Amino acid sequence: MIANLRAKFPALNPWMLWLGFLSLLLAIGLACGILIFWKGLVITNLTDLVPWGLWITIDLSSIALSAGAFSLCAAVYLIGLKRYEPVARTATFIGLTGYTMAMLSLLLDIGRPDRFWHAVVYWNTHSLLWEVTMCVVLYLTVLVLETMPILANFEWLKSRFPKLAARMSRVHHYAPYLAIAGLCLSMLHQSSLGAVYGVLKARPFWYKPEMAVLFMFSAIVGGISLTVFASMLASRLTPRARVNDALLERVAHFVGWALVPYLYFRAWDWLAMTYTYQPGRTEGLEVMTKGPLSFNFWVGEILLGAVVPLILLLRQRTRQNRFWRMAALALVVGGVIAYRWDINLSGFLVIVSYLPGEAVVSYTSYLPSLVEIGAGLGVIAFGLTAFSLGVRYLRVVDHRYVAEARETVKKEAPETVPV
Amino acid sequence: MSEVKFSRRDFLKLTAFGAAAAAGTRLVKEAGASSAAPGGEHQWAMVIDQSKCTGCNYCTLACQAHNDVSPQNQWNVVLQAGEVGGHQVFLPRPCMQCAKAPCVEVCMVGASYYRDDGIVMMDYDKCIGCRYCQAACPYQARVFNWEAFEGSNPAVPEWGKPEVERRPRGVPEKCSFCYHRIDRGLSLGLTPGVDLQATPACVNACPTGARIFGDLNDPESNVSKILKEHFSYRLRDDLATGARVYYLPADPKEMDVEVES
Repeated sequence: MIANLRAKFPALNPWMLWLGFLSLLLAIGLACGILIFWKGLVITNLTDLVPWGLWITIDLSSIALSAGAFSLCAAVYLIGLKRYEPVARTATFIGLTGYTMAMLSLLLDIGRPDRFWHAVVYWNTHSLLWEVTMCVVLYLTVLVLETMPILANFEWLKSRFPKLAARMSRVHHYAPYLAIAGLCLSMLHQSSLGAVYGVLKARPFWYKPEMAVLFMFSAIVGGISLTVFASMLASRLTPRARVNDALLERVAHFVGWALVPYLYFRAWDWLAMTYTYQPGRTEGLEVMTKGPLSFNFWVGEILLGAVVPLILLLRQRTRQNRFWRMAALALVVGGVIAYRWDINLSGFLVIVSYLPGEAVVSYTSYLPSLVEIGAGLGVIAFGLTAFSLGVRYLRVVDHRYVAEARETVKKEAPETVPV
Repeated sequence: MSEVKFSRRDFLKLTAFGAAAAAGTRLVKEAGASSAAPGGEHQWAMVIDQSKCTGCNYCTLACQAHNDVSPQNQWNVVLQAGEVGGHQVFLPRPCMQCAKAPCVEVCMVGASYYRDDGIVMMDYDKCIGCRYCQAACPYQARVFNWEAFEGSNPAVPEWGKPEVERRPRGVPEKCSFCYHRIDRGLSLGLTPGVDLQATPACVNACPTGARIFGDLNDPESNVSKILKEHFSYRLRDDLATGARVYYLPADPKEMDVEVES
């Protein structure tokens, strides 16, 4: 039967089906996006009390999960762990995709998308969002440059514009410099994204210094996990992706160890909140641990997002088993997304009263509307499409690929005059 | 690592570049007016006497009309704030026009800024609608234009006529102490807080005189005198926002007298 269908429709292979599915999601996303630009944000479930919702979570998560790019590039080009270079290549491409996803979801989220460029032109250097914007824009430039050698792999480009392709792949010479720029810019904005929440004195649940630390830690752990997971998944699905499993296992081992301090900081963050009662903060903690977000927190973030993958990745037998390793890495990614969702909402759902001598807090609720979900799916489908095309046409996941050997200039030592 | 040499010279170059960039940022910051602490000739402030407020909401209606605010968005709200001596107490809440406004600090494009006279302004043409200011404001004084305000304003003409432009969809808006009335009044030689034409609409509309407006820099102004003579408080003073709206707490004795008269 299936063979019959195949014979009739030769286009009906898994790749085409996958592209068809993604196109459907992209079409839904596009339709929702147009609807939002046309009707305005009134068709979302965002309110004056919960002005940031699903799209901000997607934005924060895609930036966090792109952190593999800067951390692995720093490991390869600055620390000198050269053997991980092919993994860093994959991470760089995922990074570019992720940051583009973040830009798309922000474009949906701001009330005046026609003025997105104001963010770069008008400066309030006191604002953390200004700093984040500047870093993201500059880092996006770095990512585009870092991806140049990958894009140069496109067969069509190579045959049509060989000189341009050659020039693009030569950008690789500057990889260490780009890695330095990427490291600085990423450390700045990955942590500042947490500080965006952390500096708001009106919101006691967020108002604390560790937000920056947690955002950065979770980003590094999640970003590397996504890179390894995506590489492994691609290698299982298509022969165009070839991985060195021993290499990925070592990276996964590192993720396992990195989860230990992450879990420690996360636990410190939530346990330290119980030391004293502070109006709004304690209620935010209750919303997160006992209220509407409790399942997300205990199961999504802590149990499945950190504890289970920690065990799976540190036990040699499960780490070597590809299925369990992939499952563990996927769980870490899910945990990071859950963390962004929980943090954003636990701060907004609790409303601190400004009335004197009044019962201090009240609560609100938020569930994304269908339009928000549709547009969000479109953004995610964009990311999946970019990665799928990258694997197929740009050898994004190819551990046998060796970057063009760098030229070295050997100079002879000047001769000395014999005494 | 031997292929690529990252020499000390390169490192110094990079460091110098970073330092130059930081210095450049610093210059821009000093040039930008938005983060500068306000300190002009006038410092406008409002005093709200909770003993006198009856919760009639005239202030809100006048505000809706004069600033052409959509019925869904209220710049000014009147809240029920408990009971004192058997009397319901109300708390009207305009924008606090903070001296250290959280919204101004966080605005990424500087669309929220201070005027010299202390009013916290919105540049509706600059704002990109990210809503960070809404997250930052402790008083929920900012309302977002989730949709465009079209059609007629139900508060017009009964409560006044629009004096400012309607804001577009996609930007947050808030009370501005009716800066346009103050500016026009000053140019006509009037005194805000004394002459009705130069005074915020909510102050004029209050039937019990619960709102008093004036210049803190003028020791003879109503607000300066009242604040000197009476005990007053500000909302969320613990956050050190430096609010310019002061409240005189409800005094049951004063409220009894008013009911009798």
